[in-house]
Amino acid sequence: MTIGLNAFLIVAGLLFAIGMLGVTLRRNTLVIFMSLELMLNAVNLALVSFSRYNGTMDGNLFVFFIITVAAAEVALGLAIIVALFKRRQSVMVEHLNALSR
Amino acid sequence: MSPQTALLLTLLAPLATAAGIAFFLRRQGGLAAAFSVGAASVLCACAFIAINARGDGAITASWEWLSFGEFKVSMGFLFDDVAATMLAMVSFVGLLIHIFSLGYMKTDKSRARFFGGLSIFMFSMTGIVLADNLIMIFVFWELVGFSSYMLIGHYLETDEAKAASKKAFIVNRIGDLGFLVGIVTAYWHFGTTDLAAMEQITNAHPGLVNATIAAFLMCGFIGKSAQFPLHVWLPDAMAGPTPVSALIHAATMVAAGVYFLIRIVFLFPVEVLDFVAWLGTAVAVYAGFCAYAQNDIKRILAYSTLSQLGYMAAAFGLGYPGVALFHLITHAFFKALLFLGAGSVIHGCHHEQDIFKMGGLLKRMPVTAITFAIGVLALCGVYGLAGFYSKDAILIAGGLGKTPIFILLTLGAFLTAGYMGRLFWVAFLGEPKSDAASHAKESPLTMVVPLVILAGLSIVGGMIQLWPESLGGLIRYDLDHLHHAEGYDAMHHEVLIFGTAAWVVGLLAALFFYGAGAKEDRLAHKAPAVFGFLKGRLWFDELYGFYVAKVQDRFAALLSFLDIFLLKGLIVRGSAGLVALLGLGARSLHVGNIHAYVYWFLGGLLLFWAFAGGLL
Repeated sequence: MTIGLNAFLIVAGLLFAIGMLGVTLRRNTLVIFMSLELMLNAVNLALVSFSRYNGTMDGNLFVFFIITVAAAEVALGLAIIVALFKRRQSVMVEHLNALSR
Repeated sequence: MSPQTALLLTLLAPLATAAGIAFFLRRQGGLAAAFSVGAASVLCACAFIAINARGDGAITASWEWLSFGEFKVSMGFLFDDVAATMLAMVSFVGLLIHIFSLGYMKTDKSRARFFGGLSIFMFSMTGIVLADNLIMIFVFWELVGFSSYMLIGHYLETDEAKAASKKAFIVNRIGDLGFLVGIVTAYWHFGTTDLAAMEQITNAHPGLVNATIAAFLMCGFIGKSAQFPLHVWLPDAMAGPTPVSALIHAATMVAAGVYFLIRIVFLFPVEVLDFVAWLGTAVAVYAGFCAYAQNDIKRILAYSTLSQLGYMAAAFGLGYPGVALFHLITHAFFKALLFLGAGSVIHGCHHEQDIFKMGGLLKRMPVTAITFAIGVLALCGVYGLAGFYSKDAILIAGGLGKTPIFILLTLGAFLTAGYMGRLFWVAFLGEPKSDAASHAKESPLTMVVPLVILAGLSIVGGMIQLWPESLGGLIRYDLDHLHHAEGYDAMHHEVLIFGTAAWVVGLLAALFFYGAGAKEDRLAHKAPAVFGFLKGRLWFDELYGFYVAKVQDRFAALLSFLDIFLLKGLIVRGSAGLVALLGLGARSLHVGNIHAYVYWFLGGLLLFWAFAGGLL
């Protein structure tokens, strides 16, 4: 039994929506960051399934790039969050509102 | 020394002195005075070197001063016969007045400023005399205007001097606007403002002479030489120190207007010449009447200057520029003498200027009184003195040209003798009428020597045959022209009779009417209505005052309202307000909440998407 493309796309869409909601609704920067990763991986899933469906390697190629970039981003982003915590003793969004003052 | 270098030195010596005084010697009055007199001597010496070197032709030199693409402005000299004659007078009379000032201004506390002003004036005046194009004349024209402003306002602690200097400056600006327009139209018409080039063009094509250009350029003359209707500044300018009145407002600057006309005579068509002749005649008579209602010795002389400038303008308008120049030169001698004499009297009487408070000065200041008397006689045109020859020539020119002008000018000569007689009899004869006059003493040597030299020139200055060959070529030419005109002999006799009658009757009538050393003005006493009318001077000042206060000020207030409301309110403040409003809106987008930024980002993304999809 093969699973159809639509199923993959629905899962990818759901993952993306969860990530999106996480970014817009959660208050902890760490969680927001994880939600971002979730969105990236949703896109990865969609690309891989398209690649498989079309029988070409283009999508897979993109996925490698995205994984690399995501890894770099995680390294950077976590470092920023750690530095932020050291300075402010908090990673909650409502405490990071210097621009409004 | 080449003549060009000498001419350059005549310009640079006073300029350098003025700059030196302004920068370094403001507190050292004595040193400044010495330098200024030194510069005047250098100017005089260089002027005579250049005059001797001139020969028959003109000395010319030219430097490019500014260039805007095709349009070039040059500075240069056109040292021809007219310029040489004028420069000789300006430099020599100027030097004498500088020497006189040494004595007159000895106790003045801002002597350095005064002598610096004299030097900058000598520089500017020499510039006008030498200039070879209209633009250069205009530049120096404004510079003499500035020096006149500065020197009239010398006693700047008095309101009178402040107001007079402003008035002189502003009234002159009105004339200079016309002058400037004239220069532009002349350039547009001839393609050059060079005097020699324009003369060549008009000689080759007489049809190119244009009344508009001449009329506009004449406006400059009307302002500077204080003719109708811009004459109001000259009597007020007497608020300045007396040597300034002698140098600037009698001998040189006001005569520069006439000199300018003589320089550009080839631009004048007949109708404008006629206008100048009538204008000059009107001023000659008008100023003669005004002088009767003045008690201030300097203001009487100021009206006399106005009147004599009218004679010069009349001679020019009658087609004898050489005769105008002749009267300009002789007038400079005796009017400088009269003003310096008045200065000596004022100095002796401790700054008393009212002639009805003087009296008896003949005994107390004999040299001043005798030289002053010579000046009066020369001004009245007594046979053999300087004023006789030039005034005689003007009257003959009037008689041969236009009989009404002749009659009016003869009336003017009678009036001249009358008011000068009034001045002399009242101020110098009889008994002293105030403490100041009874304690008057003869002035020091620095003041008396210039008086004596000028008195000598007032006696012999009119005998053109005694002048050096290198000077007065145009004067000789025009006099010769006049002597060979039809009906000259008959007219000469007529003028001799009328002219002599005018001064004899005028002087004697003044003596009998006012009486020697009178205590009060008999005219004001006997006929207050006539005196009041003359004192009103046709109410020009009142008229201008009304115009400025009621018309011009209101218009200015309207413009000021538009300026504040439209420009400042709507455009300047309005645009700033709009930007500030936008800034306020943009700032409210920055809420400082990361989630809000995410929504903005999403909104932007949607917008892009809609745009890319062709929805917008």
